[in-house]
Amino acid sequence: MITFERTGKRFGSLDAVKDFSITIKDGEILGLLGPNGAGKTTLMLMMGTVYRPTSGTITVNGFDVVKHPNEVRRLIGIAFQDPRVDGILSGFEVLNWHLKMTTTLDKDERRRRVEEALKALDLWDSRKKRTWLMSGGMKKKVEDAKILVQRPSIAVFDEPTAFLDVPSRLLVWKMIRQLRDEGSTVIVATNMMDEAERLSERVAIVNKGKLVASETPEQLKGTVKGGEVLELTLDDGSEFRPDMLTKFPEIHDVKKQDNKILVFLNSGTLLLPKIVDTLNTQGFKIESVKLKEVSLEDVFLTYTGQRLE
Amino acid sequence: MSSSPTLGNGLSKTAIAEKSPTHLIVQMALRDVSVLFRTPWIIITRALAFIIQLFVFAFLISGLIHIPGLNFFEYYAVGSVVATIASISFVIGYDIFEEAEEGVLDYLLTLPIPRREFIIGRALGGAMRAIIYTIPMFLIVAFVWGFTQPLSILTALLALFLLAFGVTGMSITVAVSVKSANRFDVVLALLELAVSRGSTALYPITFMPFYVSLFAPFSPVSFAADTARMSLVGFTLDLPALAGLVAFVVIFLGLGAAFYFRRLEGGIYG
Repeated sequence: MITFERTGKRFGSLDAVKDFSITIKDGEILGLLGPNGAGKTTLMLMMGTVYRPTSGTITVNGFDVVKHPNEVRRLIGIAFQDPRVDGILSGFEVLNWHLKMTTTLDKDERRRRVEEALKALDLWDSRKKRTWLMSGGMKKKVEDAKILVQRPSIAVFDEPTAFLDVPSRLLVWKMIRQLRDEGSTVIVATNMMDEAERLSERVAIVNKGKLVASETPEQLKGTVKGGEVLELTLDDGSEFRPDMLTKFPEIHDVKKQDNKILVFLNSGTLLLPKIVDTLNTQGFKIESVKLKEVSLEDVFLTYTGQRLE
Repeated sequence: MSSSPTLGNGLSKTAIAEKSPTHLIVQMALRDVSVLFRTPWIIITRALAFIIQLFVFAFLISGLIHIPGLNFFEYYAVGSVVATIASISFVIGYDIFEEAEEGVLDYLLTLPIPRREFIIGRALGGAMRAIIYTIPMFLIVAFVWGFTQPLSILTALLALFLLAFGVTGMSITVAVSVKSANRFDVVLALLELAVSRGSTALYPITFMPFYVSLFAPFSPVSFAADTARMSLVGFTLDLPALAGLVAFVVIFLGLGAAFYFRRLEGGIYG
């Protein structure tokens, strides 16, 4: 179990993380969802004993990260957002050395694991290629593979599928799930909604260094009133005011972003003609209309007031 | 609290690393050494450059210089091996600085190796790398001048290793205490110039300008060069120089570790 208790990290006058509290259960996949600069990487580096928290505490399986960093490091493996690999080494060598440092596996078992992972990630043919000669996607897969072969008690992935094509993304997600099935607790930091939604059992929304919400994706969606989202694009939304639509009792919230209007509502199909009529009467020209169910993206927007780009 | 980690989630497939400090230090050192072996052409070209320097430049200069009782060609040959090892040992500082900039250091710091072992491993790796790098040059000199006494060779190698270890510590100290890349380059280059050129490695102290001769005897490169020469040529042990080298190693490894710890405590970018 991992516990952050009122954890904070200050760099100069900037609070990268502030009063962050969460408990991560054994064997769960937790998605840390937030935009770039939200503090996700800082949280992970504090958990990985690279940074010291400036306030609060973090315990990993009962070990305080400041008082028992060596014990914590033996439990954790972190795959970084930007691949942190020695360019002069090949993919095989990077993984083999990582296993030498993090496990007590013998040579044969190390080779078996590395081979298995490289083959699964379609990197076996390039196993002797120096990583500095690899594409961004290949390097990223090597970075993820470090933790997949290590199979640590706590596996942390920072944007695990950044730079990856769709088939590779699906494959990495599958391998992360397998890791969890084998007993690892998994933390995935991401700014991709679909990744958080499809991979995580629980999503923690982080914004400006603070924990905004933490529930299952379904529970989070349930917190958005209405259950449906009507997305309207206006020709010119500068004169639009949310109160023009909140007079309808089925409408729970209205958010405006430039010319795009998001209406959180019930009975969208029935209400749509009335909304269109109201806007037309006010002189707005509607360019497009889209009615959809609430997504994690809408949840994020509701909680933070901003979209994840 | 128990000193062994708890596996709260029933993980059974991976053995958790709780290895001996020696194993971790060696692995960390071998990482630096292995990088060298992946670029053998650097060793070969450096050895070739050394041969040219020795048999063209040094040969020519020694023909112009006549010092009674001193074979300058031989003097220069031993000294240039020592100066080279000092120069190579500085490289680890560049590596560490680059790793910090590129974030590889963050990765290394998440590995299950205590910080003290980490630093010793890096310094040892840097020193081993410098020794391996210089061995072809040392062998050339030993072969040409007929240095075959095993004890003399071992003493000379010990001096070279101590110098490499100390310079590595010095280089790490600079790498972790200077944050600007430009400033780091300048400081390290000046330091390298000062300890190598302001030493007795390439020219005898009696021929140095007064202002250089004041501090040259105290350069670690002088300690190593004097020890190596006394051992290889004079078959004697220069104990004061060897003691100076040991002190140099202790001071700069200690300083390197202290600065490193201080930097890590606040976070690499803190």
